[in-house]
Amino acid sequence: MSVAAVHPGGIADHIHPEPQGFVRRYVFSLDHKIIGIQYIITAFVFFMLSGLLAEVIRTQLLNPNGGFVSSDTYNEVYSVHGSAMVWLVIIPLLTGGFGNLVFPLQIGARDVAFPWLNMLSFWIFPVSGLMLFASFLMGAPTAGWMEYPPVSLQGAAGTSMWCAAIFLVGVSSTMTGINFVVTILKMRAPGMTFTRMPLFCWGQFATAPLLMIATTALAAALAALFIEREFGVPFYDPTKGGSPVMWQHMFWFYSHPAVYIMILPAFGIISEVLPTFSRKPIFGYKLIAFSSMAIALAGFMVWAHHMFTSGLAPFLQLPFMILTFVIGVPTGIKIFSWTATLFGGKIHFSTAMLFALGFIGLFTLGGITGIFLAAIPFDLHVHGTYFIVAHLHYVLVGGSLMGVFAGMYYWFPKMSGRLLNETLGKWHFWLFFLGFNGTFIPMHWLGMLGMPREVATYDPQFAFWNRFESVASYLMAFSILLFFVNVLWSIRNGKRSGPNPWGGRTLEWQIPSPPHYYNFKHIPTVYGLPYDFAQPLPYKGLDEELTDSPPAVAAGAH
Amino acid sequence: MTAATLAHDAHGDVDQLYIETRELRLQGFLLFLISDCVLFSSFIFAYLYMRNSGQGWPPPGIHRLDVPFAAWNSVVLFGSGATMHYALENFKHGHWMRYMIFLLATIVLGAGFLAGQGYEYTHLIYGEHVTWAGSGIFGASFFTLTGMHGLHVFIGVCYLTVLVLQSSAGVYTRGKYFGITAGTLYWHFVDVIWVVLFSIFYLI
Amino acid sequence: MVEHKAQPAGLSGGFWTVTAILTALSIAAIVFWSIFPLEKYLPAAIITARQVDLLFRFMAASGSALWIFVAGYLLYFSIAFRARATDPPDAIGLQVHDNHKLEFWWTVIPALFVVLLSIVSVRIWYQVMLEPENGIVVQAIGHQFYFSFRYPQINGEVTDEMHLPRDVPVTLNLTSADVIHGFWVPAMRLKNDTVPGLVTTIKFTPIRDGRYPIICTQFCGVLHSEMDKQYLVIEEKPAFDAWFKKWQEKNAHASNALPSAGGGAVALQGGNASAGKALFAQKCSACHKVAPFSQTLVGPGLAGVLHDPSHPNLVNNQPATPQNVAGILQNGFTGSMGTMPNATANGLSRQDIANLVAFLDSLK
Repeated sequence: MSVAAVHPGGIADHIHPEPQGFVRRYVFSLDHKIIGIQYIITAFVFFMLSGLLAEVIRTQLLNPNGGFVSSDTYNEVYSVHGSAMVWLVIIPLLTGGFGNLVFPLQIGARDVAFPWLNMLSFWIFPVSGLMLFASFLMGAPTAGWMEYPPVSLQGAAGTSMWCAAIFLVGVSSTMTGINFVVTILKMRAPGMTFTRMPLFCWGQFATAPLLMIATTALAAALAALFIEREFGVPFYDPTKGGSPVMWQHMFWFYSHPAVYIMILPAFGIISEVLPTFSRKPIFGYKLIAFSSMAIALAGFMVWAHHMFTSGLAPFLQLPFMILTFVIGVPTGIKIFSWTATLFGGKIHFSTAMLFALGFIGLFTLGGITGIFLAAIPFDLHVHGTYFIVAHLHYVLVGGSLMGVFAGMYYWFPKMSGRLLNETLGKWHFWLFFLGFNGTFIPMHWLGMLGMPREVATYDPQFAFWNRFESVASYLMAFSILLFFVNVLWSIRNGKRSGPNPWGGRTLEWQIPSPPHYYNFKHIPTVYGLPYDFAQPLPYKGLDEELTDSPPAVAAGAH
Repeated sequence: MTAATLAHDAHGDVDQLYIETRELRLQGFLLFLISDCVLFSSFIFAYLYMRNSGQGWPPPGIHRLDVPFAAWNSVVLFGSGATMHYALENFKHGHWMRYMIFLLATIVLGAGFLAGQGYEYTHLIYGEHVTWAGSGIFGASFFTLTGMHGLHVFIGVCYLTVLVLQSSAGVYTRGKYFGITAGTLYWHFVDVIWVVLFSIFYLI
Repeated sequence: MVEHKAQPAGLSGGFWTVTAILTALSIAAIVFWSIFPLEKYLPAAIITARQVDLLFRFMAASGSALWIFVAGYLLYFSIAFRARATDPPDAIGLQVHDNHKLEFWWTVIPALFVVLLSIVSVRIWYQVMLEPENGIVVQAIGHQFYFSFRYPQINGEVTDEMHLPRDVPVTLNLTSADVIHGFWVPAMRLKNDTVPGLVTTIKFTPIRDGRYPIICTQFCGVLHSEMDKQYLVIEEKPAFDAWFKKWQEKNAHASNALPSAGGGAVALQGGNASAGKALFAQKCSACHKVAPFSQTLVGPGLAGVLHDPSHPNLVNNQPATPQNVAGILQNGFTGSMGTMPNATANGLSRQDIANLVAFLDSLK
């Protein structure tokens, strides 16, 4: 299964010469760590832009009659906000960003399997992101991130641009997926069996096939929408024999697995942060790892639970409801295991740990409302309302984004060699936690009482809670501003971290921060799980990593 | 490069780095084919979904496709699959001339398939007035899927032509010929897709 | 490094105290959701609304209990097992890797709960679906940006409010004239999308008088937000009848005032009914049955289109004359029930139209 040994002259025994010059080192870099950081920076730029769009949404909703922007602009704003947050922020951060940055280090590889492909994946991403935002210039899409036809067939020219942008970012995701699968299958260090792999790698290993397979289905749907809009070829237009519901099938066949693409790596981050800061092995390692795979697999079989109101035959709906309930079981196992990990620990409340703890609480809430939504009779009530908006933000912000922040505070030292400021970090966490809950908790009852989603104006009876949410959302925005200030300040002035500021036991902490471009001087041999705090580190061959000695193999072109 | 020099190379130039790289590339390429397969599957799903949404098939006003012609064209494509297989086998065994002949035969047959498809398209568009955008879901699904497949064949023909040039320039040796393996895999993949497309458009 | 062995591995008294508190909180939450007056905030206008509320109460109660335990233990463990200033810097926690018994139970108990939840949901879902259908049939049609309603005995469309008599079962057929809309009445706890080219059905029995907003829940265009201004009015039978009569009269009057569909008259002489029959099977039967009006596929049954006294008007409110039927065949029609493709889209020549009309005319 894993690499038995480093073969002389093989990939692991081979170092490319360090690239020279700014462009080769930092722009068109082949180094997975640099590419990971490029992903993270680019995604946070897009995060800032689509976060601003979110504040435009909340400002509009301060008043029942809106008035901040026109209805048309408002529709463009929330559509681009949703699309950008999903495809340009969360997915790239968790897969291209943290995935690239961390998991090759954790499995003891020198790089990913296909560095050139990796660079290409990255460079497609900012281009498609710019295309998505450029769609504002020609009339951005208005039908939300789901762009259901036929209304998306009526959308402005930017809707086609949206199709092209998402198609491209999908190509980038697919290539990343292929790259990661091969890397994990083939490039683990000697002794790094699957059952010794850190849980973050398991998260990536469960995610990568989803990226590879599901994204392609979306590409087909997008291509068809683009062709129909631009060339009039009927796929979705019912007056020409097409089927609008078909889009929903194809879209959700991707987008439900996409939900797991956006959460499984975050699960992985939490599973790294918790043991490190409670100085305890993760509880139930195998069950957490296998439940990730179970969730990924089951994720392909539940897409129609997004379509209970679209006129599917009842006998088709039933298995989707029950399978969705079933996914609650492996998810529950993870939550219980994380909670149990804390028991008997020596818990250090670093900012990363706070975000991890916040993640568990908020994601659990989002997961529970997900079970609510799977129950068809209740879904027939709240589908398409603010209840859905609340649920999805609890999962994607309370879940994925909290995971991202935990990862940022945890791995920032590995990226930069400096710690993020913990005081600012704690302010960030608490304000974010308050602002987030204030923004999204009221949406649950607003949705149940009759507020539909994607509206620019609303019934005045909901005015109080909407204002409350808007104010809370400003608080959330302010906390994120603190985060950006923290990052910018700490890059230059942060405390030097040394190789292992948290006492982490996975491989990335055993080498300098930031690591050398070749990662390891010697590829280590792995003897056990990383989480046994009472035991010595289960690695051999790391003795020289923190010394000044040159790498064991000479750099040279082959 | 001639057959004699090729035989001389034996496996002498294959080092550990190449073996490991080849394994990565092979796996990556297979994964690429899987995701490409999903792309076709999605469009096939769309086609079957639209086809079964009530109208009867083929839709009123459109004749059944010309099955015998397409069957002959399929034989051409499957024949090219066979020649590609023999090209790779001959290369492995060092029969340089036979490899080139079979490779060229594959290119000719692939181009022949494309020509056949071109003829079929021309006949449909000008003879029967069935077009991509103007003939409802029939035109949409037929031209999109077969067009996508045709594009794959076209890319394959181009790639095989590059293989011919590379082989003549001596890029591949008896130990290092992943480019040819990938070309063969791709070509078989395109064949298999055609089996499915032929069944769902012409046979059912 | 071995001091963890000195730590007591068992559960301390604090753990059990916290467990007792969390249990009490969970019970409080369950009681809260059981008695919470949902209908005070959102009335239940149909029978099954209460069933859906029941399902919500069940899920909210069990969900709250679960969350209270997870969040409670999370908080308690975080506080109880925090690293203290007195700890040596390399102090480690309890080195427990797993506990198969515990893992077994927290897999099995949620799995059993999933079975229970499935049973409850399916039962309630059946109640929602299996409402009787022997009452009134209404059609709601989504438009950009309003809903219109068709009643069997009102010719044409009702465009302001949907009125329903109380205690009479309703079969509501939903479709759309343009894009997908969502037909939602929060007070009914029920919605369905109106999909162009598709008729979906929901069934329910109104039980409470009132005026309830109808809200569109699928984004449908620039004025989507405005699609919450129409109402479902549930009232006593006499009030309903009065409203119904008013609309009947209004529409009978209005239908004559509408201009003709335009496009010029189609010559109908020489129509061949048997050629039309073959053509109907080929071109029309995907959406229309040769059956009474109510037997809808995508469009209505057309058996009586020219001779049914209860449907003197066509979908465009023009009288059902051969000439007007030919007009629809020629020009198509987008509106009330969705979209009927025009002659070009259907590939119909003038003679084809004449043949089809002759065929429809031959049906009694």
